[in-house]
Amino acid sequence: MFFRIFLTFILSSGAAFATSTPAPLTGKELAAVAKVEAVSIPAPAEAMAALSKVAKPNWQSRYRAPIPTTFSSRAQIALNIGGLIADGYIAVEAEDAQQVKNTGKDIIALAKCLAVSESVIARGNSIFEFAERNEWNTLKEELEATQNEVKLSLEQQHDSGLVYFVSIGAWIRGTEVISGWIADNYTPASAKLLRQPEIVALMQTKLNELPAKAKADPLVSDLIARLPELQNAVSFSSDKSPTQNEVKSVKEISGKLMANISTKQNAKEAK
Amino acid sequence: MRTFFLPLLLVASLTTQASMEPADNMPSDAEVKAHTSALEVAGAFSNDGFKSRDGHIFGKIARKEPKFIQVNLYSGNQYWFIAAASSPAKRIVVTIYDEKGKPIPSEPYESNTQAAAGFSPQTSGPYIVRVEELEGDPAAFCLLYSYK
Repeated sequence: MFFRIFLTFILSSGAAFATSTPAPLTGKELAAVAKVEAVSIPAPAEAMAALSKVAKPNWQSRYRAPIPTTFSSRAQIALNIGGLIADGYIAVEAEDAQQVKNTGKDIIALAKCLAVSESVIARGNSIFEFAERNEWNTLKEELEATQNEVKLSLEQQHDSGLVYFVSIGAWIRGTEVISGWIADNYTPASAKLLRQPEIVALMQTKLNELPAKAKADPLVSDLIARLPELQNAVSFSSDKSPTQNEVKSVKEISGKLMANISTKQNAKEAK
Repeated sequence: MRTFFLPLLLVASLTTQASMEPADNMPSDAEVKAHTSALEVAGAFSNDGFKSRDGHIFGKIARKEPKFIQVNLYSGNQYWFIAAASSPAKRIVVTIYDEKGKPIPSEPYESNTQAAAGFSPQTSGPYIVRVEELEGDPAAFCLLYSYK
């Protein structure tokens, strides 16, 4: 497969290939590694693609009941937009056009609460159109583009602290779904997919960097308090497969976090 | 189909970048050129079923000053990490390391100011992408990745 790609490049651009083996990174180089939300936090679709290689998940069985779309806490809105983006990927994997449209409608409703730009609304409309035409691969790109449009809009509103919330919501919901399926259909190979110690660590770092006012939001403070538990659950050794009970633990922790994120009561308390 | 949407994706994603250095939100001309060049390579991989992440990062690159970026990957997927630099860079290279800094065998692609490394991780978790300028003067670069 790779050879075919190389051949394409060789034929089209006269590409050259490196052959020397690089030296291991030094301690100084390891300390200089940048962690950047845009590329360091994977899209939920990546986890779903990986799971689909070792199993044939019934993605429709992972749908959840519709969530409220009238939160008053901006942090909670951003977290739930992320969660809905992950729901969108699930519906795309299930190739369920109606569910994609339902999710897209909820994303737009929540995005409007953040007073995001018209470009986000336009993205939402594109999701509808691609769903109508069953363009599943394009929809995956469109969902990530929508997520990024929301983030951009938040940055433009000088709300860059909320940008991470979108990614956090998406990753937690994705983890809930993936771990839920693996817990119900356990194999050691699929369980190893859940190993992601650095993602939660990055989330914790970013949440702790938020201004005190943002951290005072009850939902945010609860998230900061509970993330170490999730961090611990997905931080197993690379040569180990978590047991079924350990996978269930990931499912329960991420499920509780997601339930809390999508419960409207939190928004009321935050006010 | 993918080619048709490429301009749309470019316009949208130019506004969704992250920078490794403090910078204004809007990318410079050099960063835009580097991003366009990286997307060009990613477009070639899309013909083989690879999906490009919309997220990407910009930075400054210079000889003997490589940049290291953490990515978090899923075992079983195939990935291509694609970097491109603007002029006056002349040649760059992309290398992959595991979380402890050990080099990972990868399929390299180098074509002057465009470079990529492809591999399929055996273990889920963090990896490090190194982007290095081998020839040329300090320039802007863009890194993105594709997966399937």
